[in-house]
Amino acid sequence: MAALRYAGVSVGYDRTPVLTHVDLELEPGQRLILVGPNGAGKSTLIKSVLGLVPVLAGSATVLGRHPAAARGRAGYVPQIDTLDADFPVSVRQVVMMGRYRSIGWWRPARAADRRAVAEALELVGLADRAAHRFGTLSGGQRQRVLLARAIAAEPRLLLLDEPFNGVDAVSQEAIIRVLRELAAAGTALVLSTHDLTVARELADLVCLINGRQWAVGAPSATLTASRLREAYGGHAVDLPDGSTMLVEP
Amino acid sequence: MIEPLTTALAVPPALPFAAPFTESLAALFTEPFTALFTEPFAVPFMARALAEIALLALICGPVSVFVFVRRLSFTSDALTHTVFPGVVVGFLAGQLFAGALVAAIVTAVALTLLTAGGRVSDDAATAVLLTAMFSIGVVLVSRRSSYTSDLTTFLFGRLLTVTPRQIAETAALAAVVLIALAVGARALLFRAFDPAGAAAAGFRIGWLDLWLNLIVALVVVAAVRAVGTILVVALLIIPAAAARMITDRLAVMAVAGTVLVAGAGYAGLLASWTASLHYGVALTSASSVVLLLVAAYLLLIPVRHLRRRRATPWERHVAHEVLTPTPRPVLEPSPPPSPLPAPSPRGRSDRQELRS
Repeated sequence: MAALRYAGVSVGYDRTPVLTHVDLELEPGQRLILVGPNGAGKSTLIKSVLGLVPVLAGSATVLGRHPAAARGRAGYVPQIDTLDADFPVSVRQVVMMGRYRSIGWWRPARAADRRAVAEALELVGLADRAAHRFGTLSGGQRQRVLLARAIAAEPRLLLLDEPFNGVDAVSQEAIIRVLRELAAAGTALVLSTHDLTVARELADLVCLINGRQWAVGAPSATLTASRLREAYGGHAVDLPDGSTMLVEP
Repeated sequence: MIEPLTTALAVPPALPFAAPFTESLAALFTEPFTALFTEPFAVPFMARALAEIALLALICGPVSVFVFVRRLSFTSDALTHTVFPGVVVGFLAGQLFAGALVAAIVTAVALTLLTAGGRVSDDAATAVLLTAMFSIGVVLVSRRSSYTSDLTTFLFGRLLTVTPRQIAETAALAAVVLIALAVGARALLFRAFDPAGAAAAGFRIGWLDLWLNLIVALVVVAAVRAVGTILVVALLIIPAAAARMITDRLAVMAVAGTVLVAGAGYAGLLASWTASLHYGVALTSASSVVLLLVAAYLLLIPVRHLRRRRATPWERHVAHEVLTPTPRPVLEPSPPPSPLPAPSPRGRSDRQELRS
């Protein structure tokens, strides 16, 4: 069963499409990178997979169900700057949030939950920070904590929104290593990024979007100058040495 | 506990000149002095007031933590005001409790719908609802001949006239609130910390918001007769805000908040009793409690600064790191100077180069 299948999908808010013509198919263990300028619709596409933004047209299935019915099944790593760094919550508590759905409303956390949390923190290399307040960690470490939270839920499909924004090199390497391990274990990954180098390094599939889907396929076929210029419009600029520079508004 | 100490101090002093001192110290612990702290509560109405405050402390500590982390101070303030006409109608119908309860549930639902999904400018809509409902309450109460005294009762409560029946009602509400909070605590915490993450995990944000608004509304109903619709907001906001200054842990905040309300309740009642009885100064008990809470909040502000200064070297290191982020390594060679006009500073930071 495909982890994600979009055919002719449009997504958006209040019946206004933000992103159109999306055709995707993602198998378990595959890594899909969403590339596009700011405002291209990367976050909206991710939220549509999570069932938080409606699919306005086309057919979409997430883990074999309609996105709204699959809500809670896919893991999600939000951008760190959407969270309050002053929030009085420990790293361990944040990771435990990944288990809240399976714990349910009535029963307390069990040993299995605590073990999953400890293992997830171990995996992202932050086991020694479990008792620290979330906000005292650096940006990269906070992003790794959020990744650990998603891992603790053991999802078969994991979505990450700009996981390398404001992240130091050490954390970026740690995140890439963990993502490779997850994919090798069969988790399908979708992540959005501005960073074309990371996209090339990590992707099985690249989806180039800007208001609509411009290209999808292997990195070598999609991250070409002509494709990028097409997707980025006037913001892709040819330089005298033959390279292309992307300038975002 | 006190008796052995008094006896110990009362034994013949080792040194003659120490006698007057130890005697005066012993006198401190003798009956009349300790009685100052306990005797007022031997009077039934004072004991009932203390029991009522203790029950409120039990729920206000934990609930205020969620009000704090959800930044619901203004919504809570609105709830206290919108419950007001319900209290008046309930009073006129001889069912104050039922009236307040109905008004609380209706306004909790209305406020949740009003603020759902950040659709409207929350502040303005909430403020309109708040003032409208409050005015309706005043219009209703002004039809009575005992207008002024009734209004005072509804706004500022009558802590000293709490009846055993009211205490029982407060206890029942406290049990409901604590159970509702215990069941929803994890989901409410997740929603407060990361709404998008909680929604992605399958939690229904709208229902969670209604859940918490109902809990806050029930606290308002529980507290309205004791401290009134105006002062109850202090019990919902100050405990957690003050506790946050001494701890980073939510559970500790909840307990500290409860201790703070209970302490302020006890001291406020005592102050009001002492002031009225021994000094002839009329001091409203509910206001004394709230003023003491505010005083505790102000006294704890320096503690927060001290704690920040004493942050572990690791935390200071992180703070430094956050302020001066490590530059990202250049993974590809930079392009030669562009013949194009320089992009804006923001564009510069966002750009990516690509070798074709």
